[in-house]
Amino acid sequence: MTDQADILSQFSIAMSSRVAAANAWIAAIRLSPAGRHITGTVWQPDVIVTSEQSLSKRDEFELVAAGGSVTSARVVGRDPATNIAVLKLAQPVSSTNAIPGEARAGALVLSVGADAHGRSTARLGVVNAVEPEWYSSLGGRIDQRIVLDINLGRSEEGGPIFDAAGALLGMSTFGPRRRVLVIPAATIKRIVPSLLKEGRIARGWLGAALRPVAVPDALGDAAGQPSGLMVMSLTDGGPAANAGILAGDIILSVDGASARRMRNITARLGGDSIGRKVDLRFIRSGAVMSRQATITERPTS
Amino acid sequence: MSSAAHKIASSTQIRVALHASNPWRRRALSKMLTAAGYLITETEDAAHVALADGECPSSELRPTVVLGLGGREAQGLLPANADLGQIDAALRAVAAGLIVRSPVANEEGFEQLPENEVQALLTPRELEVLNVLIEGLTNKAIARRLNISLHTVKFHVESVFRKLDVRTRTEAVAKALDSRHLETIKL
Repeated sequence: MTDQADILSQFSIAMSSRVAAANAWIAAIRLSPAGRHITGTVWQPDVIVTSEQSLSKRDEFELVAAGGSVTSARVVGRDPATNIAVLKLAQPVSSTNAIPGEARAGALVLSVGADAHGRSTARLGVVNAVEPEWYSSLGGRIDQRIVLDINLGRSEEGGPIFDAAGALLGMSTFGPRRRVLVIPAATIKRIVPSLLKEGRIARGWLGAALRPVAVPDALGDAAGQPSGLMVMSLTDGGPAANAGILAGDIILSVDGASARRMRNITARLGGDSIGRKVDLRFIRSGAVMSRQATITERPTS
Repeated sequence: MSSAAHKIASSTQIRVALHASNPWRRRALSKMLTAAGYLITETEDAAHVALADGECPSSELRPTVVLGLGGREAQGLLPANADLGQIDAALRAVAAGLIVRSPVANEEGFEQLPENEVQALLTPRELEVLNVLIEGLTNKAIARRLNISLHTVKFHVESVFRKLDVRTRTEAVAKALDSRHLETIKL
Protein backbone atom coordinates (compact mmCIF):
# COMPACT_ATOMS: atom_id res chain seq x y z
CA MET A 1 0.00 0.00 0.00
CA THR A 2 1.25 3.42 -0.88
CA ASP A 3 0.75 6.59 1.12
CA GLN A 4 -0.12 8.50 -2.00
CA ALA A 5 -3.88 8.52 -2.36
CA ASP A 6 -5.00 7.14 -5.70
CA ILE A 7 -8.08 8.43 -7.46
CA LEU A 8 -10.37 5.77 -6.01
CA SER A 9 -9.44 6.45 -2.41
CA GLN A 10 -9.69 10.19 -3.04
CA PHE A 11 -13.16 9.62 -4.38
CA SER A 12 -14.03 7.51 -1.35
CA ILE A 13 -12.68 10.03 1.13
CA ALA A 14 -14.51 12.87 -0.59
CA MET A 15 -17.75 10.90 -0.44
CA SER A 16 -17.48 10.01 3.21
CA SER A 17 -16.72 13.61 4.16
CA ARG A 18 -19.78 14.73 2.16
CA VAL A 19 -21.91 12.27 4.06
CA ALA A 20 -20.44 13.44 7.38
CA ALA A 21 -21.19 17.06 6.46
CA ALA A 22 -24.72 16.16 5.38
CA ASN A 23 -25.45 15.00 8.90
CA ALA A 24 -26.42 18.59 9.72
CA TRP A 25 -29.24 18.39 7.15
CA ILE A 26 -30.99 15.28 8.39
CA ALA A 27 -33.08 14.10 11.31
CA ALA A 28 -34.81 10.84 12.14
CA ILE A 29 -38.57 11.29 12.54
CA ARG A 30 -39.91 8.66 14.95
CA LEU A 31 -43.17 7.21 13.65
CA SER A 32 -43.71 4.84 16.55
CA PRO A 33 -42.18 4.27 19.95
CA ALA A 34 -41.26 0.80 18.72
CA GLY A 35 -38.62 2.36 16.53
CA ARG A 36 -39.87 2.78 12.97
CA HIS A 37 -38.71 6.09 11.55
CA ILE A 38 -38.30 8.03 8.33
CA THR A 39 -35.83 10.75 7.43
CA GLY A 40 -36.46 14.46 7.49
CA THR A 41 -34.47 17.05 5.56
CA VAL A 42 -33.54 20.22 7.45
CA TRP A 43 -34.86 22.99 5.20
CA GLN A 44 -34.42 25.92 7.58
CA PRO A 45 -32.94 25.83 11.12
CA ASP A 46 -36.43 25.24 12.54
CA VAL A 47 -38.16 23.68 9.52
CA ILE A 48 -37.97 20.03 8.48
CA VAL A 49 -39.48 18.66 5.27
CA THR A 50 -40.27 15.02 4.71
CA SER A 51 -42.24 12.58 2.57
CA GLU A 52 -45.93 13.21 3.25
CA GLN A 53 -47.05 9.73 2.14
CA SER A 54 -44.94 8.02 4.81
CA LEU A 55 -45.60 10.37 7.71
CA SER A 56 -48.29 9.03 10.04
CA LYS A 57 -51.39 11.17 10.51
CA ARG A 58 -50.32 12.78 13.77
CA ASP A 59 -49.71 16.36 14.85
CA GLU A 60 -46.51 15.91 16.76
CA PHE A 61 -43.39 13.78 16.39
CA GLU A 62 -40.16 13.09 18.20
CA LEU A 63 -37.11 13.89 16.13
CA VAL A 64 -33.59 12.63 16.61
CA ALA A 65 -31.18 15.19 15.20
CA ALA A 66 -27.48 14.89 14.48
CA GLY A 67 -25.60 14.01 17.63
CA GLY A 68 -28.53 12.03 18.99
CA SER A 69 -30.38 14.92 20.60
CA VAL A 70 -34.11 14.27 20.79
CA THR A 71 -36.45 17.17 20.15
CA SER A 72 -40.14 17.47 19.41
CA ALA A 73 -41.60 18.80 16.18
CA ARG A 74 -45.08 19.90 15.24
CA VAL A 75 -46.60 19.17 11.85
CA VAL A 76 -47.53 22.59 10.46
CA GLY A 77 -48.63 21.56 6.99
CA ARG A 78 -49.02 18.67 4.60
CA ASP A 79 -49.57 18.57 0.87
CA PRO A 80 -50.23 15.04 -0.39
CA ALA A 81 -50.37 16.36 -3.97
CA THR A 82 -46.66 17.22 -3.95
CA ASN A 83 -45.79 14.71 -1.19
CA ILE A 84 -44.38 17.43 1.05
CA ALA A 85 -44.96 17.61 4.80
CA VAL A 86 -43.50 20.40 6.91
CA LEU A 87 -42.60 20.10 10.58
CA LYS A 88 -41.56 22.92 12.87
CA LEU A 89 -38.87 22.21 15.45
CA ALA A 90 -39.28 23.22 19.08
CA GLN A 91 -35.53 23.90 19.20
CA PRO A 92 -33.88 25.06 15.97
CA VAL A 93 -30.81 23.17 14.82
CA SER A 94 -27.76 24.80 13.30
CA SER A 95 -27.80 24.50 9.53
CA THR A 96 -26.66 26.42 6.52
CA ASN A 97 -28.80 26.75 3.45
CA ALA A 98 -28.02 24.09 0.86
CA ILE A 99 -27.32 25.28 -2.66
CA PRO A 100 -29.94 23.95 -5.08
CA GLY A 101 -28.49 21.83 -7.87
CA GLU A 102 -29.49 20.92 -11.41
CA ALA A 103 -30.32 17.27 -12.11
CA ARG A 104 -28.72 15.76 -15.21
CA ALA A 105 -29.26 12.20 -16.43
CA GLY A 106 -26.20 10.10 -15.74
CA ALA A 107 -24.89 12.29 -12.93
CA LEU A 108 -23.88 10.67 -9.66
CA VAL A 109 -26.08 11.35 -6.66
CA LEU A 110 -25.62 10.80 -2.97
CA SER A 111 -28.69 10.01 -0.90
CA VAL A 112 -28.37 10.69 2.82
CA GLY A 113 -30.75 9.17 5.33
CA ALA A 114 -30.91 9.10 9.11
CA ASP A 115 -30.53 6.03 11.29
CA ALA A 116 -32.50 5.74 14.52
CA HIS A 117 -29.83 7.77 16.36
CA GLY A 118 -29.76 10.62 13.88
CA ARG A 119 -26.50 9.48 12.27
CA SER A 120 -26.07 9.61 8.50
CA THR A 121 -26.68 6.61 6.28
CA ALA A 122 -25.51 6.86 2.69
CA ARG A 123 -26.47 5.49 -0.72
CA LEU A 124 -24.78 6.17 -4.02
CA GLY A 125 -26.71 6.22 -7.27
CA VAL A 126 -27.16 7.76 -10.68
CA VAL A 127 -29.79 10.09 -12.08
CA ASN A 128 -31.68 7.65 -14.30
CA ALA A 129 -33.90 10.15 -16.11
CA VAL A 130 -34.84 13.81 -16.03
CA GLU A 131 -38.10 14.94 -17.57
CA PRO A 132 -40.00 18.24 -17.55
CA GLU A 133 -42.67 19.19 -15.01
CA TRP A 134 -45.34 16.61 -14.21
CA TYR A 135 -48.58 16.26 -12.27
CA SER A 136 -49.12 13.77 -9.46
CA SER A 137 -52.28 11.68 -9.27
CA LEU A 138 -53.62 14.22 -6.77
CA GLY A 139 -52.98 17.09 -9.12
CA GLY A 140 -49.83 18.56 -7.60
CA ARG A 141 -47.38 20.15 -10.01
CA ILE A 142 -43.82 18.88 -9.59
CA ASP A 143 -41.22 21.07 -11.29
CA GLN A 144 -39.20 18.20 -12.77
CA ARG A 145 -39.49 14.45 -12.96
CA ILE A 146 -36.19 13.15 -11.57
CA VAL A 147 -35.90 9.37 -11.41
CA LEU A 148 -32.91 7.83 -9.64
CA ASP A 149 -31.17 4.51 -10.11
CA ILE A 150 -30.66 3.83 -6.41
CA ASN A 151 -31.96 1.57 -3.65
CA LEU A 152 -33.29 3.16 -0.48
CA GLY A 153 -34.35 1.67 2.82
CA ARG A 154 -37.82 2.56 4.10
CA SER A 155 -36.32 4.70 6.86
CA GLU A 156 -34.22 6.72 4.42
CA GLU A 157 -37.15 8.19 2.50
CA GLY A 158 -37.53 11.95 2.90
CA GLY A 159 -33.80 12.59 3.12
CA PRO A 160 -31.79 14.93 0.92
CA ILE A 161 -30.36 13.98 -2.49
CA PHE A 162 -27.08 15.68 -3.33
CA ASP A 163 -25.20 15.84 -6.61
CA ALA A 164 -21.45 15.35 -6.90
CA ALA A 165 -20.81 19.04 -6.24
CA GLY A 166 -22.70 18.81 -2.98
CA ALA A 167 -25.67 20.80 -4.27
CA LEU A 168 -29.17 19.77 -3.16
CA LEU A 169 -31.36 18.21 -5.85
CA GLY A 170 -34.30 17.65 -3.55
CA MET A 171 -35.96 15.12 -1.25
CA SER A 172 -36.15 11.38 -1.87
CA THR A 173 -39.61 9.87 -2.37
CA PHE A 174 -40.78 6.36 -3.19
CA GLY A 175 -42.78 6.06 -6.39
CA PRO A 176 -44.60 2.88 -7.38
CA ARG A 177 -42.56 -0.34 -7.02
CA ARG A 178 -40.12 1.43 -4.68
CA ARG A 179 -38.67 3.39 -7.51
CA VAL A 180 -36.92 6.43 -6.07
CA LEU A 181 -38.06 9.85 -7.28
CA VAL A 182 -36.80 13.27 -6.23
CA ILE A 183 -39.17 16.03 -5.18
CA PRO A 184 -37.06 18.87 -6.61
CA ALA A 185 -35.72 21.62 -4.37
CA ALA A 186 -37.61 24.10 -6.59
CA THR A 187 -40.92 22.43 -5.72
CA ILE A 188 -40.10 22.37 -2.01
CA LYS A 189 -39.13 26.02 -2.19
CA ARG A 190 -42.44 26.88 -3.83
CA ILE A 191 -44.64 24.82 -1.49
CA VAL A 192 -43.03 25.26 1.95
CA PRO A 193 -43.88 28.96 2.49
CA SER A 194 -47.60 28.32 1.83
CA LEU A 195 -47.59 25.28 4.10
CA LEU A 196 -45.89 27.31 6.86
CA LYS A 197 -48.44 30.07 6.43
CA GLU A 198 -51.67 28.20 5.82
CA GLY A 199 -50.97 24.55 6.60
CA ARG A 200 -52.26 23.44 3.21
CA ILE A 201 -52.12 24.17 -0.51
CA ALA A 202 -55.34 25.57 -1.91
CA ARG A 203 -56.47 23.92 -5.15
CA GLY A 204 -59.43 24.53 -7.40
CA TRP A 205 -62.33 22.11 -7.41
CA LEU A 206 -65.23 21.07 -9.64
CA GLY A 207 -66.87 18.65 -7.22
CA ALA A 208 -67.17 15.76 -9.68
CA ALA A 209 -65.85 12.21 -9.78
CA LEU A 210 -64.77 11.55 -13.35
CA ARG A 211 -63.72 8.53 -15.35
CA PRO A 212 -61.96 8.61 -18.71
CA VAL A 213 -64.16 7.17 -21.45
CA ALA A 214 -64.00 6.87 -25.21
CA VAL A 215 -66.40 9.17 -27.05
CA PRO A 216 -68.86 6.94 -28.98
CA ASP A 217 -68.03 6.89 -32.71
CA ALA A 218 -71.30 8.55 -33.71
CA LEU A 219 -70.37 11.64 -31.67
CA GLY A 220 -66.69 11.76 -32.56
CA ASP A 221 -67.09 14.51 -35.16
CA ALA A 222 -69.29 16.75 -33.04
CA ALA A 223 -67.01 16.30 -30.03
CA GLY A 224 -63.85 16.87 -32.01
CA GLN A 225 -61.87 14.53 -29.75
CA PRO A 226 -61.71 10.75 -29.18
CA SER A 227 -62.09 10.73 -25.40
CA GLY A 228 -63.48 12.68 -22.46
CA LEU A 229 -64.27 12.37 -18.77
CA MET A 230 -67.61 10.85 -17.81
CA VAL A 231 -69.23 12.25 -14.68
CA MET A 232 -69.71 9.31 -12.29
CA SER A 233 -70.95 11.32 -9.33
CA LEU A 234 -71.31 14.91 -8.19
CA THR A 235 -70.90 16.58 -4.83
CA ASP A 236 -74.12 18.35 -3.86
CA GLY A 237 -73.63 22.09 -3.98
CA GLY A 238 -70.28 21.70 -5.76
CA PRO A 239 -69.36 23.88 -8.76
CA ALA A 240 -70.26 21.23 -11.38
CA ALA A 241 -73.58 20.38 -9.72
CA ASN A 242 -74.45 24.06 -9.39
CA ALA A 243 -73.70 24.55 -13.09
CA GLY A 244 -76.32 21.91 -13.94
CA ILE A 245 -73.91 19.10 -14.85
CA LEU A 246 -75.49 15.65 -14.41
CA ALA A 247 -74.07 12.20 -13.77
CA GLY A 248 -73.51 10.55 -17.15
CA ASP A 249 -72.43 13.74 -18.92
CA ILE A 250 -69.11 13.39 -20.72
CA ILE A 251 -66.91 16.43 -20.09
CA LEU A 252 -64.97 17.41 -23.21
CA SER A 253 -63.21 20.54 -22.04
CA VAL A 254 -62.82 22.85 -19.08
CA ASP A 255 -62.08 26.49 -19.77
CA GLY A 256 -61.03 25.51 -23.29
CA ALA A 257 -58.57 22.85 -22.07
CA SER A 258 -59.31 19.45 -23.61
CA ALA A 259 -60.37 16.75 -21.14
CA ARG A 260 -58.57 14.26 -23.34
CA ARG A 261 -55.54 14.77 -21.15
CA MET A 262 -56.14 14.83 -17.44
CA ARG A 263 -53.17 17.05 -16.77
CA ASN A 264 -54.68 19.77 -18.96
CA ILE A 265 -57.62 19.93 -16.58
CA THR A 266 -55.51 19.67 -13.44
CA ALA A 267 -53.36 22.52 -14.68
CA ARG A 268 -56.51 24.68 -14.88
CA LEU A 269 -57.38 23.94 -11.28
CA GLY A 270 -54.44 25.55 -9.49
CA GLY A 271 -54.93 27.82 -6.48
CA ASP A 272 -55.35 30.83 -8.78
CA SER A 273 -58.43 29.26 -10.39
CA ILE A 274 -60.55 29.61 -7.23
CA GLY A 275 -63.45 31.97 -7.92
CA ARG A 276 -62.91 31.92 -11.67
CA LYS A 277 -65.80 31.25 -14.07
CA VAL A 278 -65.02 28.49 -16.55
CA ASP A 279 -66.87 27.04 -19.53
CA LEU A 280 -67.60 23.32 -19.32
CA ARG A 281 -68.17 21.65 -22.70
CA PHE A 282 -69.83 18.26 -22.49
CA ILE A 283 -71.89 15.61 -24.26
CA ARG A 284 -75.42 14.89 -23.05
CA SER A 285 -77.89 12.62 -24.83
CA GLY A 286 -76.03 12.78 -28.10
CA ALA A 287 -75.52 16.54 -28.22
CA VAL A 288 -72.59 18.78 -27.36
CA MET A 289 -73.56 21.40 -24.78
CA SER A 290 -71.86 24.01 -22.64
CA ARG A 291 -72.39 25.47 -19.17
CA GLN A 292 -70.54 27.91 -16.98
CA ALA A 293 -69.22 26.86 -13.56
CA THR A 294 -67.49 28.83 -10.82
CA ILE A 295 -64.44 27.04 -9.41
CA THR A 296 -64.34 26.83 -5.62
CA GLU A 297 -61.61 25.70 -3.28
CA ARG A 298 -61.19 21.94 -2.94
CA PRO A 299 -62.39 21.04 0.55
CA THR A 300 -59.87 19.27 2.76
CA SER A 301 -60.95 15.64 2.84
CA MET B 1 -58.49 -8.90 17.81
CA SER B 2 -61.30 -10.98 19.27
CA SER B 3 -60.36 -14.41 20.53
CA ALA B 4 -63.44 -15.81 18.82
CA ALA B 5 -61.68 -15.26 15.55
CA HIS B 6 -59.19 -17.96 16.43
CA LYS B 7 -61.81 -20.59 17.03
CA ILE B 8 -63.35 -20.96 13.58
CA ALA B 9 -63.36 -24.61 12.61
CA SER B 10 -62.08 -25.23 9.10
CA SER B 11 -65.52 -26.51 8.10
CA THR B 12 -67.37 -23.39 9.29
CA GLN B 13 -68.71 -21.08 6.63
CA ILE B 14 -66.87 -17.82 7.23
CA ARG B 15 -69.12 -14.79 7.51
CA VAL B 16 -67.66 -11.68 5.91
CA ALA B 17 -68.67 -8.05 6.38
CA LEU B 18 -68.03 -6.29 3.08
CA HIS B 19 -67.14 -2.59 2.93
CA ALA B 20 -67.07 -1.26 -0.63
CA SER B 21 -68.29 2.18 -1.59
CA ASN B 22 -68.12 1.50 -5.32
CA PRO B 23 -71.33 -0.45 -6.09
CA TRP B 24 -69.68 -2.11 -9.04
CA ARG B 25 -66.76 -3.44 -7.04
CA ARG B 26 -69.12 -4.39 -4.25
CA ARG B 27 -71.21 -6.51 -6.56
CA ALA B 28 -68.20 -8.19 -8.12
CA LEU B 29 -66.51 -8.94 -4.78
CA SER B 30 -69.77 -10.15 -3.28
CA LYS B 31 -70.37 -12.50 -6.19
CA MET B 32 -66.82 -13.80 -6.07
CA LEU B 33 -66.92 -14.48 -2.31
CA THR B 34 -70.33 -16.12 -2.39
CA ALA B 35 -69.17 -18.42 -5.18
CA ALA B 36 -66.15 -19.30 -3.03
CA GLY B 37 -68.42 -20.41 -0.19
CA TYR B 38 -68.39 -17.31 2.02
CA LEU B 39 -71.47 -15.78 3.57
CA ILE B 40 -71.74 -12.03 3.06
CA THR B 41 -73.42 -10.45 6.05
CA GLU B 42 -74.71 -6.96 6.56
CA THR B 43 -72.19 -4.91 8.49
CA GLU B 44 -74.22 -5.05 11.69
CA ASP B 45 -74.33 -8.84 11.72
CA ALA B 46 -71.87 -11.01 13.55
CA ALA B 47 -69.23 -11.46 10.90
CA HIS B 48 -66.00 -13.31 11.57
CA VAL B 49 -63.90 -11.06 9.39
CA ALA B 50 -64.25 -7.95 7.24
CA LEU B 51 -63.14 -7.22 3.69
CA ALA B 52 -62.70 -3.53 2.88
CA ASP B 53 -62.24 -2.21 -0.63
CA GLY B 54 -59.93 0.81 -0.41
CA GLU B 55 -60.82 2.60 2.79
CA CYS B 56 -61.53 0.63 5.94
CA PRO B 57 -64.12 2.24 8.23
CA SER B 58 -62.44 3.11 11.52
CA SER B 59 -65.40 1.56 13.35
CA GLU B 60 -64.46 -1.88 12.00
CA LEU B 61 -62.98 -3.87 14.89
CA ARG B 62 -62.97 -7.35 13.37
CA PRO B 63 -59.88 -8.78 11.69
CA THR B 64 -59.91 -6.99 8.35
CA VAL B 65 -58.42 -7.55 4.92
CA VAL B 66 -57.99 -4.29 3.04
CA LEU B 67 -57.74 -4.15 -0.75
CA GLY B 68 -55.63 -1.23 -1.90
CA LEU B 69 -53.68 1.30 0.10
CA GLY B 70 -56.07 2.42 2.85
CA GLY B 71 -55.39 1.08 6.32
CA ARG B 72 -51.78 0.18 6.92
CA GLU B 73 -52.76 -1.09 10.34
CA ALA B 74 -55.17 -3.72 8.98
CA GLN B 75 -54.46 -7.39 9.66
CA GLY B 76 -54.52 -8.14 5.95
CA LEU B 77 -53.20 -5.88 3.22
CA LEU B 78 -53.62 -6.83 -0.43
CA PRO B 79 -53.32 -4.88 -3.68
CA ALA B 80 -56.58 -3.57 -5.17
CA ASN B 81 -56.41 -6.12 -7.97
CA ALA B 82 -55.78 -9.17 -5.76
CA ASP B 83 -57.30 -12.34 -7.23
CA LEU B 84 -59.83 -14.61 -5.54
CA GLY B 85 -57.15 -17.07 -4.45
CA GLN B 86 -55.29 -14.33 -2.59
CA ILE B 87 -58.43 -12.84 -1.05
CA ASP B 88 -59.58 -16.30 0.06
CA ALA B 89 -56.22 -17.14 1.62
CA ALA B 90 -56.02 -13.74 3.33
CA LEU B 91 -59.54 -13.93 4.81
CA ARG B 92 -58.85 -17.40 6.23
CA ALA B 93 -55.50 -16.27 7.59
CA VAL B 94 -56.80 -13.15 9.38
CA ALA B 95 -59.75 -15.19 10.67
CA ALA B 96 -57.15 -17.47 12.25
CA GLY B 97 -55.44 -14.49 13.85
CA LEU B 98 -52.56 -14.14 11.40
CA ILE B 99 -51.20 -11.05 9.71
CA VAL B 100 -51.13 -10.98 5.91
CA ARG B 101 -48.96 -8.75 3.78
CA SER B 102 -48.63 -8.84 0.03
CA PRO B 103 -45.29 -7.69 -1.32
CA VAL B 104 -47.24 -5.80 -3.98
CA ALA B 105 -49.00 -3.77 -1.30
CA ASN B 106 -45.61 -2.27 -0.53
CA GLU B 107 -45.17 -1.17 -4.11
CA GLU B 108 -47.59 1.72 -4.00
CA GLY B 109 -45.93 5.08 -4.05
CA PHE B 110 -46.16 8.69 -5.09
CA GLU B 111 -47.60 8.46 -8.55
CA GLN B 112 -48.21 10.29 -11.79
CA LEU B 113 -51.61 11.36 -12.99
CA PRO B 114 -52.79 8.44 -15.13
CA GLU B 115 -53.02 9.27 -18.82
CA ASN B 116 -55.01 6.53 -20.49
CA GLU B 117 -54.37 5.37 -24.01
CA VAL B 118 -57.42 6.22 -26.07
CA GLN B 119 -57.38 2.75 -27.66
CA ALA B 120 -57.98 1.12 -24.27
CA LEU B 121 -60.80 3.42 -23.14
CA LEU B 122 -64.32 2.02 -23.10
CA THR B 123 -67.35 3.97 -24.28
CA PRO B 124 -70.18 4.53 -21.76
CA ARG B 125 -72.19 1.73 -23.45
CA GLU B 126 -69.24 -0.67 -23.28
CA LEU B 127 -68.82 0.15 -19.58
CA GLU B 128 -72.48 -0.71 -19.07
CA VAL B 129 -72.06 -4.03 -20.88
CA LEU B 130 -68.94 -4.87 -18.85
CA ASN B 131 -70.83 -3.99 -15.67
CA VAL B 132 -73.51 -6.58 -16.48
CA LEU B 133 -70.90 -9.06 -17.67
CA ILE B 134 -69.46 -9.05 -14.16
CA GLU B 135 -72.74 -10.40 -12.85
CA GLY B 136 -72.27 -13.42 -15.07
CA LEU B 137 -75.19 -12.70 -17.41
CA THR B 138 -75.39 -14.34 -20.85
CA ASN B 139 -75.50 -12.21 -23.99
CA LYS B 140 -79.23 -12.86 -24.22
CA ALA B 141 -79.79 -11.72 -20.64
CA ILE B 142 -77.60 -8.66 -21.21
CA ALA B 143 -79.69 -7.75 -24.26
CA ARG B 144 -82.87 -8.00 -22.20
CA ARG B 145 -81.39 -6.02 -19.30
CA LEU B 146 -80.06 -3.17 -21.42
CA ASN B 147 -82.95 -3.32 -23.84
CA ILE B 148 -80.74 -3.68 -26.91
CA SER B 149 -80.54 -6.35 -29.61
CA LEU B 150 -78.49 -9.51 -29.21
CA HIS B 151 -76.48 -8.44 -32.22
CA THR B 152 -75.59 -5.12 -30.55
CA VAL B 153 -74.59 -6.90 -27.35
CA LYS B 154 -72.25 -9.22 -29.28
CA PHE B 155 -70.76 -6.20 -30.99
CA HIS B 156 -70.10 -4.42 -27.68
CA VAL B 157 -68.76 -7.54 -25.94
CA GLU B 158 -66.29 -8.09 -28.78
CA SER B 159 -65.20 -4.48 -28.57
CA VAL B 160 -64.75 -4.74 -24.77
CA PHE B 161 -62.67 -7.90 -25.18
CA ARG B 162 -60.51 -6.23 -27.81
CA LYS B 163 -59.94 -3.11 -25.71
CA LEU B 164 -59.21 -5.05 -22.52
CA ASP B 165 -57.06 -7.48 -24.50
CA VAL B 166 -58.86 -10.58 -23.18
CA ARG B 167 -60.39 -13.66 -24.79
CA THR B 168 -62.80 -14.99 -22.17
CA ARG B 169 -65.50 -13.57 -19.89
CA THR B 170 -63.57 -14.69 -16.82
CA GLU B 171 -60.52 -12.79 -17.99
CA ALA B 172 -62.67 -9.73 -18.71
CA VAL B 173 -64.16 -9.80 -15.21
CA ALA B 174 -60.72 -10.21 -13.64
CA LYS B 175 -59.40 -7.27 -15.64
CA ALA B 176 -62.44 -5.18 -14.85
CA LEU B 177 -61.78 -5.74 -11.17
CA ASP B 178 -58.36 -4.26 -11.63
CA SER B 179 -58.98 -0.89 -10.02
CA ARG B 180 -57.52 1.05 -12.92
CA HIS B 181 -60.61 0.41 -14.98
CA LEU B 182 -62.89 1.52 -12.18
CA GLU B 183 -60.91 4.39 -10.80
CA THR B 184 -62.51 7.78 -10.79
CA ILE B 185 -60.62 11.01 -10.51
CA LYS B 186 -62.09 13.52 -8.12
CA LEU B 187 -61.69 16.99 -9.52
